Amino acid sequence: MIDVKNLHKSFGDKQVLRGIDEHIEKGEKVVVIGPSGSGKSTFLRCLNLLERPTDGSIVFEGNDITRASGKELNRIRQKMGMVFQHFNLFPHLTIQKNITLAPVKLGLMSQEEADAKAAMLLERVGLLEKADQYPAQLSGGQKQRIAIVRALAMNPDVMLFDEPTSALDPEMVREVLDFMKQLATDGMTMVVVTHEMGFAREVGSRVLFMDEGQIVEQNPPETFFSSPKDRRLQEFLSKVL
Amino acid sequence: MSWFAEVWKEFQIAFLENERYMAYLKGFGMTLEVSFFAVLLGVILGIVLAIAKYMAANHKGCRPLGWIANLYITIIRGTPVYVQMLIIYYIILTSREIPAIVSGVLCFGINSSAYVAEIIRAGIEAVDRGQMEAGRSLGLSEMQTMRSIIMPQAVRNILPALGNEFIVLIKETAIIGGIAVLDVTKAAMNVGANMYNYLPPLLIAAAMYLIVVIILTELLSMFERRMAKSDRR
Repeated sequence: MIDVKNLHKSFGDKQVLRGIDEHIEKGEKVVVIGPSGSGKSTFLRCLNLLERPTDGSIVFEGNDITRASGKELNRIRQKMGMVFQHFNLFPHLTIQKNITLAPVKLGLMSQEEADAKAAMLLERVGLLEKADQYPAQLSGGQKQRIAIVRALAMNPDVMLFDEPTSALDPEMVREVLDFMKQLATDGMTMVVVTHEMGFAREVGSRVLFMDEGQIVEQNPPETFFSSPKDRRLQEFLSKVL
Repeated sequence: MSWFAEVWKEFQIAFLENERYMAYLKGFGMTLEVSFFAVLLGVILGIVLAIAKYMAANHKGCRPLGWIANLYITIIRGTPVYVQMLIIYYIILTSREIPAIVSGVLCFGINSSAYVAEIIRAGIEAVDRGQMEAGRSLGLSEMQTMRSIIMPQAVRNILPALGNEFIVLIKETAIIGGIAVLDVTKAAMNVGANMYNYLPPLLIAAAMYLIVVIILTELLSMFERRMAKSDRR
């Protein structure tokens, strides 16, 4: 589904990604972990071209998105949902409008269809009664679940999560992770950058460890956590587990 | 006659005699009119300038637009508005058919646009970067994200600053008498010439500016408080 080849990214003369090759299959849940500054967020943000790679190619469903025109890129992004660390809900719009804005503006659904879809998704996360409220009235955990719903309303083929629980108070992490687990069970393809090792172990079909702009080691979670081979990974795990 | 009574009499002559208060009020009407249309023109030109600067900053191909906008802003901000006004009045709009007020509006509008452009740019930049990313990640184009997501939020930053610009302009237009537009300052000068005493009419004019500026400032901060309230909803 996603084929990454020789991905490089520099900011000025600072190299953040130094050659990443990765293949993500439909239905996989890939969890990316690593120390801060390892390039894992940049890697994720390259996948939908929020960051433009300096070199390399990213093929998504047969299209090389690094060569896509502006219009093609907008169409490709409709199929890639993204969830941010700081939610990035639209503060001037109601929850309902946050969810329906994009599908309606892009002509994918009528307002009625979008409203119905929003209601269905809100019901699912138990936040239907918040539909007419504004983001500022919600807790962090609620905001993040709305942000996930907003992305889901586009019927994406893959969901990208950029540290979705890092900005949350501890007691709210659970409700977001539970919702993500549900998505995983439903078969959604997911790429998740996170520090939640429990989630990686439980939900991940594959765990990648990144350090200094490269994927150093990757394995299914059982092997990944029980017998890490790389010394940096061993060190990292000893600090976070 | 005591000194106070004398001063009081001078003010009565300067304000009440021969219905002179009408001259001040008409003059102040002109001041407000020029300021209003100048802000309007300033906003329109300012938006164009701000778009040019935004495009130049975010798209390599549009850089020349940014140079032109910066040159314009540098010249407008780097020269006295009085000189600009005289140039427009005597050199550009020399036709007798065009009333002097047009030169005034044009001059202050152009002058204001340079500042308005900065206000708009700052208002847009104050919106969190993540908003653009969220819009784009949903597949919206840059234009769509600007229109539906960034601008509605930027306007909340821009409107109060525009109100301030209007207040500043009301004071700046006091030089418009230089091209024979009868504003409140010019009216006060005329009254002064009539009664051979300039101080009382000028103090009256100053008081009128001050009162209106205080009222507008208060209205503006009320408006800002209400906006801040709706932010917390």
